[in-house]
Amino acid sequence: MSQRLKLFRWRAVGPLLLFLVLLVVLWIVFADSFVRSQAESSLSEILGTEVDIGSLRIREADAAVDIGDLAIADPRNPNRDLVQAGTITLDLDPVPLAEKKILVDQLRLSGLRFFTSRKAPARPANPNSPAGRLLGETEQWARDKFQFPKLALGRIDSLKSLVLQPDQLGSVKAVKAFTGTVDSTRDAFEQSLAGLQLRPLLDSSTALANRLAKTDPKKLGVTGAREAVDEVQKALDRLKQAKARLASLEQSARTSLGALQQGLSEVDAARQRDYAFAEGLLDLPSFDAPNIGASLFGQQSTDYFQQALYYARIVQRYVPPGLQPWNRPGPTRTRLAGTTVEFPKLKEYPRFLLQKGQIDLATGSAAQNLFKASFGGITSQPELYGRPATLSGSGRLGGDSPVALELSGLSRHFGTAPTDSIAARVRGVTLPVIPIPGLPFAVNPGKSTVGLAFSLAGDRLAGAWEITSDQASWVSDTARLQTASLVENTVWRVVSGLSRLRVRAELGGTVESPTLRVSSNLDDAIAERLRGLAGEALAKAEQKARDAVDGLVDHQITAIRERVNGLSAQLADRLPVERGQLDTAQKSLETELKRLAGSATGGIRLPKL
Amino acid sequence: MLTILKLLQSLFQTLHSEGTPGQVAAGIMLGAGIGLTPLLSAHNLVLFAAVMLLNVSFGGGMLGMALFTPVGFLLDPLFDRIGLALLSAPALRGLWTDWYNIPLLPYTNFHNSVTLGSFVVWLVVTAPLYFLGKRAIAHYRATYGSRVLNSKFMKALKASKAYNIYSWFVPQ
Repeated sequence: MSQRLKLFRWRAVGPLLLFLVLLVVLWIVFADSFVRSQAESSLSEILGTEVDIGSLRIREADAAVDIGDLAIADPRNPNRDLVQAGTITLDLDPVPLAEKKILVDQLRLSGLRFFTSRKAPARPANPNSPAGRLLGETEQWARDKFQFPKLALGRIDSLKSLVLQPDQLGSVKAVKAFTGTVDSTRDAFEQSLAGLQLRPLLDSSTALANRLAKTDPKKLGVTGAREAVDEVQKALDRLKQAKARLASLEQSARTSLGALQQGLSEVDAARQRDYAFAEGLLDLPSFDAPNIGASLFGQQSTDYFQQALYYARIVQRYVPPGLQPWNRPGPTRTRLAGTTVEFPKLKEYPRFLLQKGQIDLATGSAAQNLFKASFGGITSQPELYGRPATLSGSGRLGGDSPVALELSGLSRHFGTAPTDSIAARVRGVTLPVIPIPGLPFAVNPGKSTVGLAFSLAGDRLAGAWEITSDQASWVSDTARLQTASLVENTVWRVVSGLSRLRVRAELGGTVESPTLRVSSNLDDAIAERLRGLAGEALAKAEQKARDAVDGLVDHQITAIRERVNGLSAQLADRLPVERGQLDTAQKSLETELKRLAGSATGGIRLPKL
Repeated sequence: MLTILKLLQSLFQTLHSEGTPGQVAAGIMLGAGIGLTPLLSAHNLVLFAAVMLLNVSFGGGMLGMALFTPVGFLLDPLFDRIGLALLSAPALRGLWTDWYNIPLLPYTNFHNSVTLGSFVVWLVVTAPLYFLGKRAIAHYRATYGSRVLNSKFMKALKASKAYNIYSWFVPQ
């Protein structure tokens, strides 16, 4: 008889328990480094830059995590860290951990430092990662949307020869297109006028009036007179209808003429753009104050706005509004990462929530370092949390020469369009030297006040960046300055004596069509000196550019202008004549009608026509 | 090379173990689940405990894992597509949303396309794998089994201490 097969192998319980104990031991030994490695990898992936964590310790009994020496590299400068944090302590709520969700009750951060040098350059972000792509896109966005004129001042002394081709000019294309419009407008007018059939109507009406004028109404008898009255009234109706149609045609012709005048203005505007294009080929400097501001500090300001936009887009990417399932790349592993889908649900925990965080820097002398900041509501699913993420802080940082820092931020990713905004102001900060593009000198702002405000609401942009300094100094590349042009030397003489620096850049518009206005206290001074020095040469160069454009388009524009004027004159001449002839015919018929009506009614007075 | 030798050793040990062909096939079937799906998921702990605690061939389980791990790597793109299709299916959204918010279940990583796709494929192939494996082992034992069992290699293997530890998991 065969032995009955047992379902369980009870003697394997011991080894299984041993295996589980082994797992626990492995967790105790390796969990910290495993989680540290995972956290570094995830944060690097999200932020698109190298994130290093010096140490990480999980305190299971306290449901807390201690992180030491966190460093986040600058994605645009691998040799420096954006932020370094000495110690971070996270107090976790253990219950959501059962659902693989992280709820941080409180975060405490100390030992915060900004823009510190790295010992080793940071690894560049993978350009194919989501953050890498975002970084590339925002850099491309700044290049595409903002182009600043360079103060290429050397070129004005010796003008280049200028050769233009007709297909380079927008006005040539505009004239070609506009010629078609003028022709079709004229043809349409001629056709409409012919369609009114005014000549046969005038001829028949005049003939009728003439025939009746020669007729004695008394000889027509009552019936004949009535028939003649009917005939005249019908002719009058036809004349009135023709006049109404003529008035309508006149109205439509006036509208078309207005459009043609507008077309001429557009051709003129295209010619102005061609002038600018031709001047651009000559590399002429612009001496308008706003252009000088943009030339000097435009690039610097867009660097700040571009970084702010990058981080705003990162937030928009990883903090999606609404409660739709959300796809994100799976974990980094030997197997294919795949896609991990999150399924948020109302009244449940979000996947990540930092309820409250504090940065308290009171190290060293309290008088020197006193900075406090608080933040909260940072979550991966704001719709579940229902409140915006906020950040606010103020205080002093630094040793012998402290800087005062104020910052605030808000991120609202629920309800209507997501909104992210940040504002920061730092007083007493020593800024690095700002090179002036295209010129052999740079400004060292020294101790300054720097302000940055930025917001992205949907696709609407708003921002301001400003530098205020009373200790600015100017440094030159002596070798280059010796060979620099007269104009460059003049600019150097203007700026080198200035210690006061005020720069302000304002960003507006949308991501697709941003606007940027940059101004500084140097703009007017430089513009005035340059106009005085190089105004004559500049005017000569501008005239040369204009002559080159006019040589190609002037006769075409003159011709099309004459055609428009001719059509306008034709309308002005012909329509009143036609209208006058209709009026005359109508009056003749009305006269005959009165005469006939008196006879047909046998002396009964008719109502006045 | 060492891996291949170990695999061969495991194969012979399993084929000649005391277990019935059904027990060996069941072990292979459970091991295939561990091999096909990404390792660091909670369901693999359950599968591993089942291989140990259920009266199936432990060697079969290890063999299944060893054989199907490379298969899993190869089929990952297919698993990804199947898993993503299931996770994106509107009809299943309510189910996934409930599961996602049930304690411990997210640790199975069911909401990852590769994990879900590979697990579903494993579920589909379990029955064919079991019956095919059972039949193949029975056929082997009836034809080549006795010759291999009496070979010097198997005798040396059985005499080793490792075999004594292994025999703890031999089906009864």
